[in-house]
Amino acid sequence: MSEDYNPDKVIDSREAACPGPLMDLIGQVKSAKSGEVLELKTTDEGSKNDVPDWLDKAGHELLEVVDQGDYWSIYVEKS
Amino acid sequence: MEGFAIVLASEELEKIQAVSIISSVAAASEIPIEIFVTMNGFRPFEKEVVENMDFEGGRAAKAMMEAEDVDVPLFTEQLEQAKTLGPLSIHACEMTMDLMGKEMDDFVDLFDGKLGVSGFLNAAEDKQVIFV
Repeated sequence: MSEDYNPDKVIDSREAACPGPLMDLIGQVKSAKSGEVLELKTTDEGSKNDVPDWLDKAGHELLEVVDQGDYWSIYVEKS
Repeated sequence: MEGFAIVLASEELEKIQAVSIISSVAAASEIPIEIFVTMNGFRPFEKEVVENMDFEGGRAAKAMMEAEDVDVPLFTEQLEQAKTLGPLSIHACEMTMDLMGKEMDDFVDLFDGKLGVSGFLNAAEDKQVIFV
């Protein structure tokens, strides 16, 4: 459940197309501290699928992708 | 993996936009990128062209410029953001600039400097080269 994550940062990238949400996330992940949880909000289905691929490579943890109806919340924990 | 050297010789918006997307995400992921702008590739970087959104391009470029419900950031914004996030350099081909009678001031402020072909080959030495 989304409430359970209590993110340290919320990044609202709704309406932005690829690679906007990913770029916004990368910028915020860089300045985050290890263990912090970030929530990325996106309406872009491509980003919903591509962000986990980036996380996999970058070594940060994908906590969950939550379908919020008209957008997705991607919860990420910085390694 | 030592990154990519991209030769951008096309003025078509959809191609430069694809270069910008791939380069931006790569650089932000610490994959080094060297972009070498040459030949027709310069036109989309001209201040007047960017201000008037007077780009050349095909179907995808038109869709991008007409898109109302999605916000597609222009390559200029993407590259500017990417340069603050990771190793991305943009070089201007000196020969083309001389040929077209252009100065650095004619272009948006994204270039790191001018480079000749030897300079580009040095920068590309340890990288995979992509020609666009």
